[in-house]
Amino acid sequence: MTKRTEALLVVLSAAIAAAGTALVTVTTSAAITLDTLAAGATHTAAFGALLVGFRRWAPGASRLLLPLVGFITAVGSIEVFRIDPDLGRLQRWWLLLAASIGLLTLRFLRRRGIGALRRYRYLFLVGALALLALPLLPGGLPVGGATVNGARLWVRVAFGDRSLSFQPGEGAKVLIVVFLASYLADRRRALTEMPRSLGPVRLPEPRQLLPVLLGFAVAFLVLVYQRDLGASLLLFVVVVALLYAATGRGTYLASGAALIAGGAFAAVTSFSHVATRVDAWLHPFDDYATGGYQVAQGIFALAEGGLVGAGLGSGSPWLIPAAATDYVFVAIVEELGMAGGLALLAAFAMLIAVGFGIALRATDAFRSLLAAGLTIVLAVQTLLIIGGVLRMLPLTGITLPFVSYGGSSLLANVVVISLLGRISHEERT
Amino acid sequence: MRRHIHRVAVVLVALMALSGAWLTWLVTDAASRYRDDPRNVRAQAGAFLPGAGRILTSDGVVVAEDDDLRNRRYPVGVVYAHLLGYATSDDRRGIEDSRYAALRRRHTGSISDWLLGLGSGRQPHDVVLTVVDPVQQAAHRAIGGATGAVVVIDIATGAVLAYVSSPTYDPNRVVAGSLDPGDADGESVDALIDRAADRVLPPGSTFKVIVAAAALEAGSSPDSEFADADEYLAPGSGSPIRNAGDGFCGDGETVTLEQALVVSCNTVFARMAVTLGAGSIASAAQRAGFDRYLPWETGAARSSITSADMLSSDPGALAQTGIGERDVRVTPLLMALIAAAVGNDGVAMRPYVVANIATASGESVSSAHPAALARMFDAAVAADLLAMMEAVVAGGTGTAARVDGLTVAGKTGTAEGSGGPHAWFIGVAGAEHPEIAIAVVVEGAGSGGRVAAPIAAAVITAWRDGA
Repeated sequence: MTKRTEALLVVLSAAIAAAGTALVTVTTSAAITLDTLAAGATHTAAFGALLVGFRRWAPGASRLLLPLVGFITAVGSIEVFRIDPDLGRLQRWWLLLAASIGLLTLRFLRRRGIGALRRYRYLFLVGALALLALPLLPGGLPVGGATVNGARLWVRVAFGDRSLSFQPGEGAKVLIVVFLASYLADRRRALTEMPRSLGPVRLPEPRQLLPVLLGFAVAFLVLVYQRDLGASLLLFVVVVALLYAATGRGTYLASGAALIAGGAFAAVTSFSHVATRVDAWLHPFDDYATGGYQVAQGIFALAEGGLVGAGLGSGSPWLIPAAATDYVFVAIVEELGMAGGLALLAAFAMLIAVGFGIALRATDAFRSLLAAGLTIVLAVQTLLIIGGVLRMLPLTGITLPFVSYGGSSLLANVVVISLLGRISHEERT
Repeated sequence: MRRHIHRVAVVLVALMALSGAWLTWLVTDAASRYRDDPRNVRAQAGAFLPGAGRILTSDGVVVAEDDDLRNRRYPVGVVYAHLLGYATSDDRRGIEDSRYAALRRRHTGSISDWLLGLGSGRQPHDVVLTVVDPVQQAAHRAIGGATGAVVVIDIATGAVLAYVSSPTYDPNRVVAGSLDPGDADGESVDALIDRAADRVLPPGSTFKVIVAAAALEAGSSPDSEFADADEYLAPGSGSPIRNAGDGFCGDGETVTLEQALVVSCNTVFARMAVTLGAGSIASAAQRAGFDRYLPWETGAARSSITSADMLSSDPGALAQTGIGERDVRVTPLLMALIAAAVGNDGVAMRPYVVANIATASGESVSSAHPAALARMFDAAVAADLLAMMEAVVAGGTGTAARVDGLTVAGKTGTAEGSGGPHAWFIGVAGAEHPEIAIAVVVEGAGSGGRVAAPIAAAVITAWRDGA
């Protein structure tokens, strides 16, 4: 792909954002409002800046990344705006902020390269754990934790009488992947050797299993103290998948699967909020008025969507609780239909394929594992939430990358893309 | 390491593909099972939806639409009240109920519509009726303030061309809240009854068409002769059956089957029913739709006759059944279908009133498919019945139903009712061959030939002038 095509596709994604917003305003208020201009301008500014940043500080970066992310973000911003115009407007500021953070990331790595991150890996680990622990701070202080929908994964920063909320877990997931990639790149020989055996099962030195157990412990603590099913599952799956990628040992997959099964069983039997989720997943209509309401509304939305959807602005996606965050994919299917949903899935699949392509071409183990880890985070997060709202899995509250409303998520995912871009640049130099 | 990253990649991308396949299945499944689920407020709670479509007649008259506040409005409310019904936030009736979801379904259509249809994509669907406005208006005018019903059906398709029940009510008042359909003592109670399909009455002499059909099946012809009598006392019965004018039907010796039908001879048909036997009469009636469920857009009451077992042990009841009294009960809708079958070689088409669902720009989304309901008579029997019924209108009790330029065939009926006799007329009309069937009933109003037949003539004339 030429530079010119890449730029054209990024411009096209901004045009989609503007046109979709125009369609929504025409359908819902019979007028084209300034929101159209704002959506187009924001998208152009954010992705234009990232494009310039890539050209300057990572000119060899894969040219597939930005057009795909631009398209996915455009669809997301249209639907979030459609569900709640205020959230949509807020999301534009988050997009601009995310682009600036992406630019800072690229600028920071411009000389030192991605390898510089290895030096700070324990700092990143401590930072990640601190971020994960942040929501547990008592509320009421200038910086304090907050509980939203039963999950304590928010931090509220107060400025006088105003406050800003963010989910530090989104940042933590990036830091943990950087730490893991760096740790595994150094230790993968030791982790691959399996000198001990227990019956037919070959095991590594027990201390080498520590990272798996540590990952599981952190994930479980997140589940217990923050009641966040999605984040804890994401965390643990990424740890296990990266361990497998680094070592090629099925033992890690098997022990990971066993721990997930055991953890899931323990969670269902001991935490009522998890049991409610599972009930709602299996029998949404039995418990329609209470637990199953959201899942049932999601099914109705899918039914309304059909092949090509009700049309932008013509569905009723706001009837689904959490339509702009967890259920945004279903809201998109309601209005753009199965066709729109499949197009979005295809874009995600391509993005993930591009990410793994970067991992496979990387010049050393650290870069390869980092690219793979970041891509796995994107992929697993996408699968968990889409599988959740489509009832392949129990619903876990987690954002759909680049699509759901949420500043922290957008910020973290733009950093992921910047890192992937930088790694792919380094493959060519 | 690359190999394993590759494996993870393959698994994750495959899971994305699986999600796509799952999405395809789930949307299809959800669309077929949950789209009209009562808990799906998208389809049910009008308040949440940006409006409902219009209901139009086949000639394009809007009979139901949303006003600026998205309340339902019925521009010619009283004329279409029993067909349309009404839709308010907590109560629904008629087509407004049976097509509630269709009227609130927005057009999704083809992919090109979706890409191009900036405006049309948000319009709800319209329901287009088979009713022809001038015919409906004429029926409404002709029945006037009387109590009764008029049903007009296109013989070849089963499409309902007019459907009137009287007294009527104004559905706009139900929407506005000034008329409470739930008030059992209110003024609306009588007006809300759908006399066209949801109320049964004794058919009186119109039932003689069924008895004549049974006789024809049993081997008689229109020229077969029956003994004339001025009264008939069935075996074991206490009270004799007399003719309408208390005299003989013919010369006092014999009358033909055709003559008996033309003058509506009670004594001949009462004796004929007893002679043919309960089984023959009951099966002819059941073939013609009695004791059967009648599929109809807004629901129809079941027409019935006494069971063959009971009739065979009570010749007096059987004799009265033969002239459409005693426990015979029928809806005007079924009587119109019976007339339609006479005009259609014995086959009644399934009645329908929704011609199609269309987009706001008039493009049909789904259309009704005419289908046979039942073969009520053998073709030869139907031909004989038609010829005899032509004679009824040409020179018998039904002369008031004559219409210039058309051949009208029919049968009158005058059924005993507590508040006076119910006047009936059923028949068919057409230029060369029968095209429409009609049933008229006016409750407690007098004889069929004097009261119901002129109403039929007025409606048939309106159809002639409109068609």
